[in-house]
Amino acid sequence: VGLRRILAQLASGGPAPVFPLLGAGAASLERVLRLDSRLRVVDSPRAANILFVGGEVTAGLLRPVVAMHDMMSHPRATVWAPLEAPTRRLQKVFPDVTLLNPEDDVVAEVARIHGELLSDRRKSERGVLPERDAAPWRDVGPYGQGGTGMTGGVPYGRPMATRAPDRDGLELDKLDLRVGPFFPPLPRGLVLDVQLQGDVIQKALVSTNPFRRVRSRLPGDVFRAALAGPVPIEEIELARARHHLKWLAGMLRVHGLAALSFRALALSRDLSLRSASAVRELGQLLERTRGLGWATAGVGVLPHATAGAATGPVARAAGYEVDARLQDPGYRELEFTPVVQHEGDARARWRQRIAEAVQGVELAARAGDRHTGSLDQVEGPRGVLGPFGSSWETLVGELPTILEGQEWGDAITTLVSLDLDMEGSP
Amino acid sequence: MTPWTEAGAAVGLVATALVLGASATRVLDGVISDLTARRPVAWRRALVGPLQDAALCVLQQGAVTERPDREGWTLASALLPALAALSVVVIPIAPGAAIADVPAGLVLFGAATALVVIAVFLHGWSANSVFPLIGAYRFIALALSIEIPFFLVLIAAALPAESLAVGDVVRAQASVWNVVRQPLGLPIYLIGGLGVAFWGPLAVSDAEDLAGGTLAEVSGLGRLFWTWGQACMLVAVAAMGASAFLGGWMGPLLPGPVWLAMKTFLLLAILVSMGHLFARVRLERFVTFAWTVLIPLSLVDVFLSGLLVL
Repeated sequence: VGLRRILAQLASGGPAPVFPLLGAGAASLERVLRLDSRLRVVDSPRAANILFVGGEVTAGLLRPVVAMHDMMSHPRATVWAPLEAPTRRLQKVFPDVTLLNPEDDVVAEVARIHGELLSDRRKSERGVLPERDAAPWRDVGPYGQGGTGMTGGVPYGRPMATRAPDRDGLELDKLDLRVGPFFPPLPRGLVLDVQLQGDVIQKALVSTNPFRRVRSRLPGDVFRAALAGPVPIEEIELARARHHLKWLAGMLRVHGLAALSFRALALSRDLSLRSASAVRELGQLLERTRGLGWATAGVGVLPHATAGAATGPVARAAGYEVDARLQDPGYRELEFTPVVQHEGDARARWRQRIAEAVQGVELAARAGDRHTGSLDQVEGPRGVLGPFGSSWETLVGELPTILEGQEWGDAITTLVSLDLDMEGSP
Repeated sequence: MTPWTEAGAAVGLVATALVLGASATRVLDGVISDLTARRPVAWRRALVGPLQDAALCVLQQGAVTERPDREGWTLASALLPALAALSVVVIPIAPGAAIADVPAGLVLFGAATALVVIAVFLHGWSANSVFPLIGAYRFIALALSIEIPFFLVLIAAALPAESLAVGDVVRAQASVWNVVRQPLGLPIYLIGGLGVAFWGPLAVSDAEDLAGGTLAEVSGLGRLFWTWGQACMLVAVAAMGASAFLGGWMGPLLPGPVWLAMKTFLLLAILVSMGHLFARVRLERFVTFAWTVLIPLSLVDVFLSGLLVL
């Protein structure tokens, strides 16, 4: 008991391992969780003691939340920062959940609860799902193995990885699995049903979007505000640069560059009119070390028409000189010209976004009190926003074609490079 | 001393060296991570962090997946630090002072590091889960491409000594270190070392795009053993690099073990920094690079070193 107390004291002095499940309207919490040294955001619920749920847990997210909860090791606790969301749904399932109020210091509360867990002042939460097999199999079949045969049969109640011809006609093992909506490298809310052979994606289908009905309830941002009326160019360009840096942080994390990811995320938080050189310096470092370019060059090249239809950085990275800002009188006064790349691959997309982040800060610094004009379309950080939707939403529908035939690592690189937003998608 | 006491002392010595080395690696990692992230270096966290992480893992219950290969899983987590221990026993800290300065020390080191592939595969396979399994297969796909150049440059380092004993390799550098005599050797060795310790750009098996790969389903003591085992493997790679290319214990004024520790620390700093600056490689492209550039260059290294000996 004495040793346990010493270990608990030692461990509670370190960062609390947290697995975040950010529901609707909670995107901004990610930066808060990742930049605070009292927490460590982990890649897998197995490594976490705290399940942090943020925002609205829609009906489509409830089951994945429960599954993630039960995957965590003991001692474990669930903390929910519902923001403005209705609270009943999750409370019914998790009676022990700790609810945070909007005014609470989220990080301090999580750290406190973690300390209580380790020192046994708080009980570890029990599993929510029943302790029985997901598919009944015991005593079924000639050997009680749950089905018929081995390869091609259903031992343990589920079809085994069985063989099927691959895209080149070879007979290889195939494996069906569902990833998302909280698979850390994927955009939040994206659910993919994929068929793998080796680590090559033979088929990919986009499943129902758990955020599909939340768009109208989400808090607006400066880009949506620009659709309604003029907004300061300084504000909108700084928001664009912040968005691109936050995206860059996620991309660097997926490529194994956690420290540089932190640097990009901190830059996004602290961005000011004088930050252009810091952003440029980070971009130059990524170019000089060459590793990232090497890992992303030639990956995820879209059909030219698909890239063009997506508009935004994806289109400009493929050579399209399209930008709604070109029509805006305020930007014309600033002699705005879009930055363009030509390769149209994942490398061109991160180069494009870094260049646009630098350009955004420089435009903001020169903008003075200029405002955007009253236009039907606004150039958002992902592409053109209109009153009835966003042009880059087309990319979600194209994912099966884009991903088919890619190795897993390349598929993730491609998905990240597209900067999809399921909250804004139908 | 009885043979049992000797064996106990040897095990204790190796374990202490590895725990200290792995702790130094974790501290170094924390400091270099802070410097790369451009945040103030949190010295207290860097120094105490490894212990706090270890305590947390001890308190955390081990995860259980559905129908795992429990024996394989446990064995994998124990095998990695054991292989690191086997790799360092052949490295002398002073003239004649190695746990096992055997005549074929480099071969033993090579055999131990080659078996890392078994540990990684077992670790990914045993979880009975998709992403760990993909991580395991990825390492299999990578292993040969890194091990061939890694061992070739070690063989080149042994040529001037005309011996495979690590002590002889160090002594043969009395006039000039191998890093000068064989300029291709150390860079290729370090790239291979990143692969052997599946670290940084070559952490393909435990990668973020697989939610941690072979580590995705691991918690508690299993995670502690695995992550510390990986740090021990980095220490073993750095210590052998210091002996084979930087003159091992040799140096003026200070005692031999201090020189070896400093050189090992320098190589560790390089390896850890590479992990923070270079993105994880794309497997297919790296394998092509290894077979078309690294392996031919390491063969050139062997031939040139052989010519110099003649």
